[in-house]
Amino acid sequence: MHRGKGMKFVTDSRVGISNRKQNIAKDFSEYPGRTEAFWPNFLLKEWMVGSVFLIGFIALTIVEAPPLQNIADPTNTSYIPLPDWYFLFLYQLLKYQFAAGDWILLGTVILPGVAFTALLIAPWLDQGLERRPAKRPVAISFMLLGILSIFYLTWESVQTTHWDQVHEQGILQVPGEGPEIDTAAPGYEIYAAQSCVNCHGQNLEGGAAAPGLVGTAYTAEEIADIAVNGIGTMPAGQWEGSDEDLQAMSEFIASYGEGGENNQ
Amino acid sequence: MAQNGSKVTRRQFLTYTLTGVGGFMAATLISPMVNFAIDPVLKKSDAGDKVKVISLDDITTEPQRVDFKKQTQDAWYEFEETLSAWVFKNESGEIVALSPICTHLGCQVAYGGDPTRPTEFFCPCHFGRYEKDGTNIPGTPPTSPLARYEKEEKDGFLYLGSPVAQL
Amino acid sequence: MLQKIYDWVDERVDITPLWRDIADHEVPEHVNPAHHFSAFVYCFGGLTFFTIVIQILSGMFLTMYYVPDIINAHASVYYLQNEIAHGQIVRGMHHWGASVAIVMLFLHTLRVFFTGSYKKPRELNWVVGVLLFFVVLALGLTGYLLPWDMKALFATKVTLQIAESVPVIGGIAKTLLAGGEIVGARTLTNFFAIHVFFLPAALFGLLGAHFLMIRKQGISGPL
Repeated sequence: MHRGKGMKFVTDSRVGISNRKQNIAKDFSEYPGRTEAFWPNFLLKEWMVGSVFLIGFIALTIVEAPPLQNIADPTNTSYIPLPDWYFLFLYQLLKYQFAAGDWILLGTVILPGVAFTALLIAPWLDQGLERRPAKRPVAISFMLLGILSIFYLTWESVQTTHWDQVHEQGILQVPGEGPEIDTAAPGYEIYAAQSCVNCHGQNLEGGAAAPGLVGTAYTAEEIADIAVNGIGTMPAGQWEGSDEDLQAMSEFIASYGEGGENNQ
Repeated sequence: MAQNGSKVTRRQFLTYTLTGVGGFMAATLISPMVNFAIDPVLKKSDAGDKVKVISLDDITTEPQRVDFKKQTQDAWYEFEETLSAWVFKNESGEIVALSPICTHLGCQVAYGGDPTRPTEFFCPCHFGRYEKDGTNIPGTPPTSPLARYEKEEKDGFLYLGSPVAQL
Repeated sequence: MLQKIYDWVDERVDITPLWRDIADHEVPEHVNPAHHFSAFVYCFGGLTFFTIVIQILSGMFLTMYYVPDIINAHASVYYLQNEIAHGQIVRGMHHWGASVAIVMLFLHTLRVFFTGSYKKPRELNWVVGVLLFFVVLALGLTGYLLPWDMKALFATKVTLQIAESVPVIGGIAKTLLAGGEIVGARTLTNFFAIHVFFLPAALFGLLGAHFLMIRKQGISGPL
């Protein structure tokens, strides 16, 4: 477009004198090496890479359903929180003595803040004109240190997480499916009066400390034995009641077990 | 283009005025929205009323678990939250209401939950232990004492508010 | 026919320079994996953008069924995933795409760092890039709550506790984020608005600046 005198006025619209840019691809023969045009030469290659990536990605979405846990229940006190995997390293950091308790600020504000600020102003921290990694050891070392600590913290977090517990507490109770727990049954009253309910939940759904009791493979006798003598991390001697109560409760839980009459 | 004695050119004047009018429009648009967004901070925190829990006559020196329901308001939803407390009279006759939530990972503790230690609170998740007054026993997982409910004694009944963390 | 339409528009609006500028910008040999396989590291930026396009598209379609409300959010997510045609794929794209975006962004950042491409004259573009990384992390954090399931609620509670530990502004920051005293109805609507409108607006602005600067400054030369 031309300004001022270059403009030819036709009625009230502005139409430039016909010197429109010709639609001709640029010639790259003078450029160094094998430089090529972005469109369509390079973009085609990029989109081929993109297609391969996309096939893998779509395959992932088909194979692996995105997880959905039970609806949020603020009163569930036995749930162990876990952030998404890319925040695990920050979560792990808070577990260390030097970043917890009185030093919590170090873990929540100072360390991440310093790291992020350093990343943000990296061009001014590393001002030399040299670009090769070998020629700027300080910047590269700090970055490697940062990456290593992120990997190490994530690894530690993965190691110290009880994944079977995380898996257990994450199982979705499909709405409308699964048995309705009869909380008026005598067996349930015993269940709730004993300490069972604290770990195994109001609806036998289990929690962080204990598995759910719906669909277990145990018989009533085995359940009675576990209630008295414990199993795995469940301590012995938690049962305080009569043998009749024990039998009633065991049968109640077994009725929600695998093939039990209340478990449809 | 400056006139005699005038330091502001016509163009500068127009630029200042444009900035002013633009600022006016932006401020008028944004200020109600900012108030809209920071409303949660402006609102007075509603600690919630204390709830009638148990008759004072029923409270003994032995901790007992009492469940009570509390109306909780969450924006446009109102729901009943079920809470529990371990209530007892301590040596000086003062009523103590402890929250049953373990300060380690939030499991539910029970008084005498471990039959071999009948006068302690016991958390079955990771075997955390607390003295009768809620103090955590060193060497077990919890790092702070059990929270205590805000309490009020009125007309022969115990009223409980929100749990307050003990440090 | 198409050529005629193009000429007709071009004669009036002069569109040729607009797109020829993008089409003709040169791609030097040292970033082209077709010539040097090791140059595949230069693909991470493009793949990050591709993933973000996937996120924007799938996110737009997810809001057709999603309800940001504590009573209905979970049920609507369950419904759109299991009852709507291809629901698993669309939600899967958004869910897994978030992780892929973080990975790609991480790799892209490392490539730029180790090739020293953030040095003069590209300092500003690096700053914009780090801000973009931050916006994407914030998108991940706010998006995590939206299905309103157990892990969403409790992870957000931890996040808010961390926010609260910040001195001076911590308490206010927590109240603002949570929309009140408890993590509930207002937290969910708050996070939804931030995730769907505020952060994407910032993302678009920063992306525009990022690409504009790449175009102005060109790709950094070979090492």
